[in-house]
Amino acid sequence: MKKKGFADLFFVFLLLYLFLPILATMFYAFATNWNKTVLPEGLTFKWIAMLFQDSSFIEAFGRSVLLSGGAVMLALLFIVPAIFVIVLYFPKYEKWIQAAVVMVYAFPGVILAVGLIRAYAHIGVPMIVAVLGAYVISILPYIYQGTRNSLRNVNARQLLDAAELLGASKAQAFLKVLLPAVYPGLFAGALLSFSVLFGEFVLINLVVGSRFETVQIYLMKKLSTSGHIASSVVFVYLVLMGILTFIISMLTKRSKGAAKV
Amino acid sequence: MTSKKQLFVWILPFLVLILLFFIVPLLYMVISSFSNGDGFTLGHYQEVLTSSYILQGFKNSITLSAVSAVIALIITLFAVYAMMRFSEPVRERILMISNLTSNFSGIPLAFAFIVLLGNSGLFTLLFEKWGIESLTSFSLYSWGGLLLVYIYFQLPLSLMLLYPIYYGIQQQWKDAAALLGASTFQFWRKIGVPIMLPGIVGTFSVLFANAMGAYASAYALTGSNYNLVAIRIGALLSGDIFAQPELASAIAVLLGVTMIIAMLLSEWSIKKTRRNLK
Amino acid sequence: MYGNNAVLSNIDMTIEKGEFVTLLGPSGCGKSTILRIVAGLTDATSGAVKIEGKNMNNIQPKNREVGMVFQSYALFPNMTVKENVAFGLKMKKMNESEIEQKAKEALAIVHLSDKEHAFPHELSGGQQQRVALARALIVRPKVLLLDEPLSALDAQIRKKLQADLRSIQTELGMTMVLVTHDQEEAMAVSDKIFVMNKGKIAQEGTPTEIYTKPESEFVANFIGHYNVFTRKELEQMIGNKLPGERQKFAIRPEAIHLTAKEGDYRFKGTAKEAVMSGNVIRTVFQAGDRSFSVEQLHERQASLVLGNTYECYVSQEDVVALL
Repeated sequence: MKKKGFADLFFVFLLLYLFLPILATMFYAFATNWNKTVLPEGLTFKWIAMLFQDSSFIEAFGRSVLLSGGAVMLALLFIVPAIFVIVLYFPKYEKWIQAAVVMVYAFPGVILAVGLIRAYAHIGVPMIVAVLGAYVISILPYIYQGTRNSLRNVNARQLLDAAELLGASKAQAFLKVLLPAVYPGLFAGALLSFSVLFGEFVLINLVVGSRFETVQIYLMKKLSTSGHIASSVVFVYLVLMGILTFIISMLTKRSKGAAKV
Repeated sequence: MTSKKQLFVWILPFLVLILLFFIVPLLYMVISSFSNGDGFTLGHYQEVLTSSYILQGFKNSITLSAVSAVIALIITLFAVYAMMRFSEPVRERILMISNLTSNFSGIPLAFAFIVLLGNSGLFTLLFEKWGIESLTSFSLYSWGGLLLVYIYFQLPLSLMLLYPIYYGIQQQWKDAAALLGASTFQFWRKIGVPIMLPGIVGTFSVLFANAMGAYASAYALTGSNYNLVAIRIGALLSGDIFAQPELASAIAVLLGVTMIIAMLLSEWSIKKTRRNLK
Repeated sequence: MYGNNAVLSNIDMTIEKGEFVTLLGPSGCGKSTILRIVAGLTDATSGAVKIEGKNMNNIQPKNREVGMVFQSYALFPNMTVKENVAFGLKMKKMNESEIEQKAKEALAIVHLSDKEHAFPHELSGGQQQRVALARALIVRPKVLLLDEPLSALDAQIRKKLQADLRSIQTELGMTMVLVTHDQEEAMAVSDKIFVMNKGKIAQEGTPTEIYTKPESEFVANFIGHYNVFTRKELEQMIGNKLPGERQKFAIRPEAIHLTAKEGDYRFKGTAKEAVMSGNVIRTVFQAGDRSFSVEQLHERQASLVLGNTYECYVSQEDVVALL
């Protein structure tokens, strides 16, 4: 079919377009010198080594993990139980969560940053707390999706009812039956949220600035000073994202498979 | 019922978080957009609507967002069509890989494009070597360069949204149409595309909103030089020159309204698509 | 028609013009594949499909003059009922006023004249399937293929549509091929039934032939609740030798009765349990280490007491020898 061949071109173009920048950046992280020639003059590990010897990078990495991980933890502690309760016991209010999800989508970091500064900059609240709180809210869509899907996959209401009829208390039913069943989906949602937050730049940059230097801010600084170090940062970032994406896809497959049984 | 009251305890922290870190900030933003220190004013909006510079920013943002969304849509529409030749597991894997690239945005993405097309980028050197004049004059730090970057982060999102819509076109519709005498082209013109249309419109509005709110990659490439709404808000906020948070609020409110319209459009179309695709 | 591959083998069917034929079999037996091959939607690796003597092998689906109704209706969701029905004629570039008139006629045939401006999602499942039927009928195909069209519907609506389907078929004199796994449906509508199993034709015949003379254990089990015995079991029960060489025998549950007739086989059984299904009561009897079921009309039930042993009779021609 001739039309398919035409479409194939777009498909190949899409793949090239998506991968060329990634491959080039990764390559750049290992290039000795790559300013004048089309291909790098040689390959080396020295940029990566240099990056890991830079204490400000290690600290920035730590801050990013702390901030993103902390926000995900808070979401798991406070948002997930709320979603459980609403979906299972007050299903008619679920549309309000969905509305909140849409609103969160509709107000990107740059808008939220204005609000956070207007609300909290002058009343003594540490701005990093404001950003942390905003992070917790901004991953609501991913957390909601993950929780909702796994609840749907395991038919949670019936599971809980069955456990209670067999003599479990509400808490037991929740902890021993429901939580293990929805855990993979939940974990996948949490990792996805983490990877999204790890790449966040707008809020942290506009609201807190370089007082709290995350990986993204570190990278922004290196952009104008050292291309090789910058590409090493991107390399590390990509490897981390790759690992996370891989785990997420395994988990999603598992939770889908579990639903079929 | 007491048990329902007990359950409410679990919802309370969630409501507090939403209130403190979403609703209150947005309210403050709206209030500040109408205040001039001691009273109510429409001045900031007046300034936005009369400043040709800010209006230019809106225009640039809207054009960049719409054009990048349309191009990404066209590429992915054909790509999804081509993807259908693979088995389902292969398609799932392609989607997974594409999702991986969706994390590649903001500063890292801007940097990757600098590596390829920056002043001493790989392709820039190639074009020079081959002496392709028209391409050597290309600047990544301009509208065209931003467009390439924006298309990049639109592609995975577009693919992820379009795939299920395309997948929803049932084989039985194709069979039924074929038996009733329709050619493949007629099928797509009269049935396939009309069924997908609301979904395509919805995808467009999500992509559009996605680009309107993007900040990091444009900031990384052009600093505050290229005039986009998001960049303008950031500049007025952090006060590269002098901070005008109230004016930033007014612009942010207008941007927010644009985003809400785009999201409502996509919600409407998703509902419509779901009904059609069951 | 003759095909030969992993899914189907040695399929040889002849269908007369104006006949209502049913392919009956469990899911996965390849019956839907046959329809798709006839329609040209799937290619057979070998063999030929002929319609009115013409070989269809290299003819596109749209030029075969074959219509099809799908299990999931496959209505075009972006079109109204009337637009769906008119689609086939539009493709034939018929003029608008003629299309209008024919669409109205087709909708009248399926009793949906008042729904012409509705969209598919506004209709019930039964109504959607009527639209699908009208859409397929309007181009007057030489053969109309029905791929489990009623199996997604409630029992009551299904019965009603079965009757409608048969009366439309008779009225238009159209050749129809129905695929179903519901033996009652097959009995209710067909002139001829092909019972299929594992990609092969297990038996063909009129509904009565299939029902009263199953040729194999598979057909006997699939078609009714036949009691199937081995020669040894049955000879032991009736205390008599059976004629012929065959090793398996089937007896319909309603062929076993409690009053003697001239020449009947007789055997004893103890009533164990009774299940009511509609106006029929099915009683399971125990005879030695074998159980068998007996069906009677509901009113006679009073005469059976569970736990009692009864003398049962079956006439010789109701004992069907199986291959």
